[in-house]
Amino acid sequence: MDKIGLYLGCNIPLKAPDIEQSFRKIFPVLGIEPVDLQGASCCPAWGTAPSFDLNTWCAISSRNITIAEDQGVDIMTGCNSCFGVLSEAKHFMEDGDRRKAVNASLAAVNRAFKGTSDIYHVAHVLHRKVGAEKIKEKLKYSLDGLKVAVQTGCHALWPTDVYKVTEDNPYYPTMLRELCEATGATVPHYSRLEGCCGMGGMRSTDAEKSLGLFREKLLSIKEETDADLIVTTCSSCFLQFDMSQPILKERGLIDFDPIPTFYYTQLLALAMGFDPSQVAAISQIDRGSVISEIQSEKRLIKEVA
Amino acid sequence: MLIDQNKIDEAVTTIIGYGGEHILKCIQCGACSAVCPGVKAGFPLLCRNLIRHLLNGQLEEIIEDSSSWGCQACNRCTEVCPQDVRPQEVVFAFRRYQANQLAFSTSSITSQMNLFETGHAVYTDPREARKRVGLPEETPTSAFDELAKKEIQTLISNSPMGELGLF
Repeated sequence: MDKIGLYLGCNIPLKAPDIEQSFRKIFPVLGIEPVDLQGASCCPAWGTAPSFDLNTWCAISSRNITIAEDQGVDIMTGCNSCFGVLSEAKHFMEDGDRRKAVNASLAAVNRAFKGTSDIYHVAHVLHRKVGAEKIKEKLKYSLDGLKVAVQTGCHALWPTDVYKVTEDNPYYPTMLRELCEATGATVPHYSRLEGCCGMGGMRSTDAEKSLGLFREKLLSIKEETDADLIVTTCSSCFLQFDMSQPILKERGLIDFDPIPTFYYTQLLALAMGFDPSQVAAISQIDRGSVISEIQSEKRLIKEVA
Repeated sequence: MLIDQNKIDEAVTTIIGYGGEHILKCIQCGACSAVCPGVKAGFPLLCRNLIRHLLNGQLEEIIEDSSSWGCQACNRCTEVCPQDVRPQEVVFAFRRYQANQLAFSTSSITSQMNLFETGHAVYTDPREARKRVGLPEETPTSAFDELAKKEIQTLISNSPMGELGLF
């Protein structure tokens, strides 16, 4: 089985551990063994070291990367921001002078960045290393007939010159759509597909502007797809969709019920038959009825050994 | 507005020093602003307009503007820029200038403290939720690893961030 370093970040292990559990459940079945990166920290998030000093950012990111290098594994991250921050730091570290300066800082904690571990997103590992066929083989329930709106999120898309895996056209991403289609679901296009959800620095700086941007995206999803559920591979987008739809509803800014939202591996874990109380347990929006629908008897394909 | 070459030089040198290396390549075409979610959401000083102010020598004049903190760091601008300015690096360079002058919102201090104390910018005690979903209560991350926390604190204390008097 291929080993890969599971880089957790902050939101997933601390706020959404059901997403972490979904990684730990599905990957071994799909032939990938996630190994822990003991002592890994925040990537560091855009609003911290990257906002103060470039080399401090590179030092903290590089420290995280050395944990994977020491074990001889690549890195897989479930959070788009972590993917962006670590990939960009690795890109900055290609500059010889910077690498020398940052390694001088890392020497104080007995570490040295070598650049031998690559950075992947969970979606990349599923799409490129596992593949749709293998995913189809492991399904217990078919999602045939369910309509999914996808949200890839920003930091897995741009800038393409620093990422190990990229979309053919980052303004028209297809990976997540194909991963959802592998479960049997229908994934209609909507015009704001690549749009930002407004989470992140924008939300903490000006919540109203963030909600405005989010509402426009959400209306595009509702009016153009009437999706049964929203699926994302970004933990920040997940939090925004899950916590801000109820706010818009309460304020009368949307006239429909909040659309249940899942991280992709939660949806896949449910389709593979894993226990929802472990892999899809934490949300503001009630996901009970869509989970029951996914795991209903009529959708059974076969028993997975 | 009177244009003062000394002020332009100061602004450009400051931005380049903080990582906005290619600011002088900007031709003000506005491709960056056309794809920027922050501009779309209504932040006035991002991408093209921020660069315009800086290239006019307006640095201190805009230090209190919070637009740069509304940047999502999405890099749509970097992707479309025909001049390879990497506009996000300019926005972040300006943000670093603000941060090093302590011109940022007090709410942001919590993330810096969390990072320093736990290694996580966002920290909530996860033990109950983790137990509920069948995971070990403690994460394999720095939050429950004393040596890791010490390493993070050393890296931050030895850096320019350590000189700001936040920790």
